[in-house]
Amino acid sequence: MNIEGYEFPEGLYYDKNHFWARVEGDLVVMGMSDYAQKMAGSIVYVGLPPEGKKLVQGKNFTKIESGKWLGKVFAVVSGELAAVNEELEKKAKLINEDCYGKGWLFKIKPDNLDELKNLMTDPAVIQEWLKAEIAEHGKK
Amino acid sequence: MTTQLQFDEKQRKAITQCSRCGFCRAVCPIFDLTKRPITNARGKMILMKEVIEGKLPVTEGVAQALLRCTTCMNCTVTCPSGADPQEVIKAARKDMVGMGFDNLFKKMGEVVEKYGNIYGEEERHDWGHKRAGARYVLFVGCVGTYREEESVQESIRLLDLLKVDFTMIDEVCCSGVMEDVGYKIKEDLARQNVRELQKTGAKTLITTCPYCYRVFKEHPSYKTLGLEVKHITQFLKDLDFGVKTNKKVTYHDPCDLGRHAGIYDEPREIIRKIAPNFLEPRRTRENAMCCGSGGGLRGSFPEDSIEISRNRLSQIIEETGAEILLTECPSCLHNFRNAKLRKQKIEIYNITEFIGQLHQERQKDGAA
Repeated sequence: MNIEGYEFPEGLYYDKNHFWARVEGDLVVMGMSDYAQKMAGSIVYVGLPPEGKKLVQGKNFTKIESGKWLGKVFAVVSGELAAVNEELEKKAKLINEDCYGKGWLFKIKPDNLDELKNLMTDPAVIQEWLKAEIAEHGKK
Repeated sequence: MTTQLQFDEKQRKAITQCSRCGFCRAVCPIFDLTKRPITNARGKMILMKEVIEGKLPVTEGVAQALLRCTTCMNCTVTCPSGADPQEVIKAARKDMVGMGFDNLFKKMGEVVEKYGNIYGEEERHDWGHKRAGARYVLFVGCVGTYREEESVQESIRLLDLLKVDFTMIDEVCCSGVMEDVGYKIKEDLARQNVRELQKTGAKTLITTCPYCYRVFKEHPSYKTLGLEVKHITQFLKDLDFGVKTNKKVTYHDPCDLGRHAGIYDEPREIIRKIAPNFLEPRRTRENAMCCGSGGGLRGSFPEDSIEISRNRLSQIIEETGAEILLTECPSCLHNFRNAKLRKQKIEIYNITEFIGQLHQERQKDGAA
């Protein structure tokens, strides 16, 4: 689905911190939304914590940085960090190039998949939320 | 609007002083990265000579080439002819802004003016350290405040542990960096800092950022400050810390602290007190390679800037095998931390932050 120029593929879960999630086997993959990556600009750094780190849904656990912007990364579900996208270490702009594909961020072994119910999946809800975000923070 | 580089006699002389020998290629962090002759000091001096002789028009390409300089001064200390290319490059950047090539840092100037910091951050962390009648006032700068907050927090904790009588102000950007990227210092911000610092009644200003140190110490806009200005390494060198590490420790000289301010010994005096296994990198002191964050490069070419940092970090690891890399500059610290690869096990800290951590470890061991 395209909302005011931003891609939000259906079938993914979205949180209000601008990260997406999808289930892949027994893991949850997460990444940054198209709106967030465009607002951030050219991303140059993502902190890649060690695997095994305990994460809590909605709590920040690392940093992400573009030329002049520093943001926090929030866990989409609670669990244990199972994998990081090591490609980003030398090529963080993959997030800008392909935020739902090669630019994925982390894989989490979830404590409880029911937590996904706290995220948005309904296109109408996502659309309403994003329009409010655009009204507050603008567009790039 | 001018149409030509308006170099004065001194700058023109510096350009002709360059004998085109190319010694600077061995120490230029940009050339080390790109291997393109135009990117080192020799190439830029030739470029500017062509421009002032009217053989080459100033184009966006010329402007971009002159922006690729970290102003690290490694070429200056290496130059057998005694030229100081970074001063000429900074003058050329000012002229280029006058000629309309101002798109890159104009925005930064607006941001600094509007928000009082280089990042356009709206909220500033309140360190909560306002004390009337303190002898010292601590100034931490933009990079520490907005990019390496935990490090600043540790430095503050260390000063508290050492029972230093200090206060802090609601600081705004010293704005000296504007002079490096073709603009003028923001006089309103300088006045605000001077006013707030004087209001504290402190006798000595301590800066954690070597760039801020230089601006407070050297820039005419701060000449009425009336406080003694010290970098935190100058302040701490005579103190005892009561902690030690047996780990292999090394030190990176920040360009702003070393080549620009001549402060090489003080950080080493501190490190020797806490780390008997101190190892110097091969390229050290005035020959230390740049981390890539200076001269506006981190803002204008962030990927190159981090890649330069990665090169410097690899050099240091290779040359020393150290477990801990110390520096005392928020910009170097930030760039190195961004550059470090997961497979590299070295830990990177500001000296003050590391000593604070050693204290914390000792407290934990004592409590166990």
